[in-house]
Amino acid sequence: MFSEQATPMAQGLLAPPSAEPPTFPRVPVSGYSDCSQPFQLGERSFSRQYAHIYAVRLSGMRPGLECRARSRWGNDIALRKLSELQAGEKCCVVGTLFKAMQLQPSILQEISEEHNLVPQPPLPKYIQPSDELILEDELQRIKLEGAIDVQRLVTGTILAVYGTEQDDGRFLVEDHCFADLPPPLPWNGPSSNRFVLLASGLGLGSVSGEALLSTQLLVDVVTGQLGAEGEQSCAAHITRVILAGNLLSQNTQSRDTINKAKYLTKKTQAASVEAVKMLDEILLQLCTSVPVDVMPGEFDPTNYTLPQQPLHRCMLPLASAYATLRLVTNPYQANLDGVRFLGTSGQNISDIFKYSSMDNYLEILEWTLLAGHISPTAPDTLGCYPFYKSDPFILTECPHVYFCGNAPHFQSKLLQGKEGQRVLLVTVPDFSVTQTACLINLRDLTCQPITFSSFGADSED
Amino acid sequence: MTDELYLENIDEFVTDQNRVVTYKWLSYTLGVHVNQAKQMLYDYVERKRKENSGAQLHVTYLVAGNLLQNGYVCHKVAVVREDKVEAMKSKLSTISSVHVYSVQKALLKDSSPLYNTDYDIVKTNLQHCSKFSAIRCAAAVPRTPPDAPRAPGPTQGPRSPRDPDAAGVVNGHGPPAARAPPQQHKGIMGMFAAKAAAKAQDTPKETKAEAREAPGVSAASSKPPTKNTIMNNFFGKAAMNKLKASSVPEQPKEEKEVVKPSVAVAEPESSPNTVAEKPGKKTEPAGIQQKDKKSKTKRVDRSDDEEERDPENVKKKRKRIKQLQSDSSDEE
Repeated sequence: MFSEQATPMAQGLLAPPSAEPPTFPRVPVSGYSDCSQPFQLGERSFSRQYAHIYAVRLSGMRPGLECRARSRWGNDIALRKLSELQAGEKCCVVGTLFKAMQLQPSILQEISEEHNLVPQPPLPKYIQPSDELILEDELQRIKLEGAIDVQRLVTGTILAVYGTEQDDGRFLVEDHCFADLPPPLPWNGPSSNRFVLLASGLGLGSVSGEALLSTQLLVDVVTGQLGAEGEQSCAAHITRVILAGNLLSQNTQSRDTINKAKYLTKKTQAASVEAVKMLDEILLQLCTSVPVDVMPGEFDPTNYTLPQQPLHRCMLPLASAYATLRLVTNPYQANLDGVRFLGTSGQNISDIFKYSSMDNYLEILEWTLLAGHISPTAPDTLGCYPFYKSDPFILTECPHVYFCGNAPHFQSKLLQGKEGQRVLLVTVPDFSVTQTACLINLRDLTCQPITFSSFGADSED
Repeated sequence: MTDELYLENIDEFVTDQNRVVTYKWLSYTLGVHVNQAKQMLYDYVERKRKENSGAQLHVTYLVAGNLLQNGYVCHKVAVVREDKVEAMKSKLSTISSVHVYSVQKALLKDSSPLYNTDYDIVKTNLQHCSKFSAIRCAAAVPRTPPDAPRAPGPTQGPRSPRDPDAAGVVNGHGPPAARAPPQQHKGIMGMFAAKAAAKAQDTPKETKAEAREAPGVSAASSKPPTKNTIMNNFFGKAAMNKLKASSVPEQPKEEKEVVKPSVAVAEPESSPNTVAEKPGKKTEPAGIQQKDKKSKTKRVDRSDDEEERDPENVKKKRKRIKQLQSDSSDEE
């Protein structure tokens, strides 16, 4: 793994100073291309309705799903639109799922005066046994029941259901299928060890400072200051660092200016200003030594709706002087040394977590890959830009590394597909909580967590 | 014997100044490679303990290695106190690094002094924070000015702190800064680009080369009140003649060159070439600020050169430690 070959020289620095210590050159970037153009929005106009995004999503995924349905249930099945359904006929329908949830926060209910409701506090999960699934296509909708897991699925998923329409107007589902893994990409990965460091949730600007030394240790390992010679030479094989969101802590989001009186807050500075300065210094240290891609996250100073646009360069004056800093969108897609990376800062996964019975972030990540869409719950419960020409979150090619940031734990899995796809699924943990980052070896698509620790007032090990 | 100097230095830091001496702090202070700093700290601890076993010395170590955790082989990097080193080493299945992290007189309750020491020393050395590191990245070069977007109006922000080296120059440039700081920086960037171009064998832009010599010459020879007319003849034969007959010393030439880009602030749309060509518009007091800037650019040049020569001159630097000791607030 990462520094196995460093073991012989592990204690080499426990010695008097020797002659000229070696410096290792960073492995050069051999192939990098940014494929996030679909996620970069130029001029934005919010004057359109969100219905268009569902229409393009359905029309974009329908061909693939019809293919999948035919291969699964036979070439001669009847593919019907909802308006063509006949009672009692076994057929297959492709449409968008809508889950009617009682607990789903609704702005209309909140502002309705006749209910006199206090807005409900945020819950970890909004699922209830009484939730119902409804399938919609371009013109009609129909309630679903039968062999379909209501709790597990979320609004916005495109799927194909096979069954019959009942007399009472509901559709009895016998089987259903998703878009499954997208077609594979050719593999051009490196032949020697090349590592990419994935970290997320640095959480700068938080009140507690425990994670600060761990962040410094992370920077020191990557820049080759920490460790004995063997470890430093292994660290020289780290070709890239990707910071997957939440560089700032949630604490920087509280705005006293809204709650407090003006005379109390006039001279105060937003908490994010200090945090961004700290971020700039950390990024400067990294950028002088390794290419860094910075993705924005939920608490970072950029737009709220997906796809989040890159942080502006003016906030990072010291670091953006270096060509090694790349400020990128969330979600982010790129070819690194012939390996296709695709990932988000975790908002899509955590939103599905809230509205589905699935508990495991890795399971949800895998499910989004099999459902063929990065973020099905957008725009229903997750803010999204009103696309109308095409939905950029539809997965058209299978990435080699698919990650999500700000997960509660580190998990990884290598998924093998029927058509030869090989995907490494990684849930990158929140660094401010776990002090763990991930090292991905591009040569063999393996992933290893790297943990940092120091000693606190209570000396636990 | 000079090689033993570092021992006395470390002794002074630890015992007399009561500092927390981390390997990184020592590396920046003595100007040595990080690995040498780690070895120096180890050597110091060994010797001190050998000669005086009751010495009040506490050491923290860095232990790194592989560890099986939750079904994954996790790479763990930990800073531990001396008494916990063996325990940590036994927990790891393979050990990849052990070295001294810091030496201090008092026992540390938690790791925040370590963080603070490193933070402070890095903050004062932000310009060359990877200078003593064991990894060199060839791709980490500052962006060249033409890469930056040209519109000075809306994108004033990104331009201003673009070049950290120029920051010092800008700061010494108080009064005109109020006028148009980003264009000023663009001018200064243009100056740096000019200097870099001139440093290379053939300046592709011969106008720039001219601009270097000519304004200095012409400015030196012409009187300040009549500058406005002369500057228009920049490329003119007057300038060329003066170029040939250049008996003007280096000093004023450099001065004027430094002044000139800051002066050219008023031209928003001019390219760096033409920016360099209007020396006479300077309105700020000539003497002190020019000297400041000149010395600052000189210092910047020196540190740039130092960086290039660094790998082979580490030993040389060590010899200079004696002087470094005396004036500790040396490099900014």
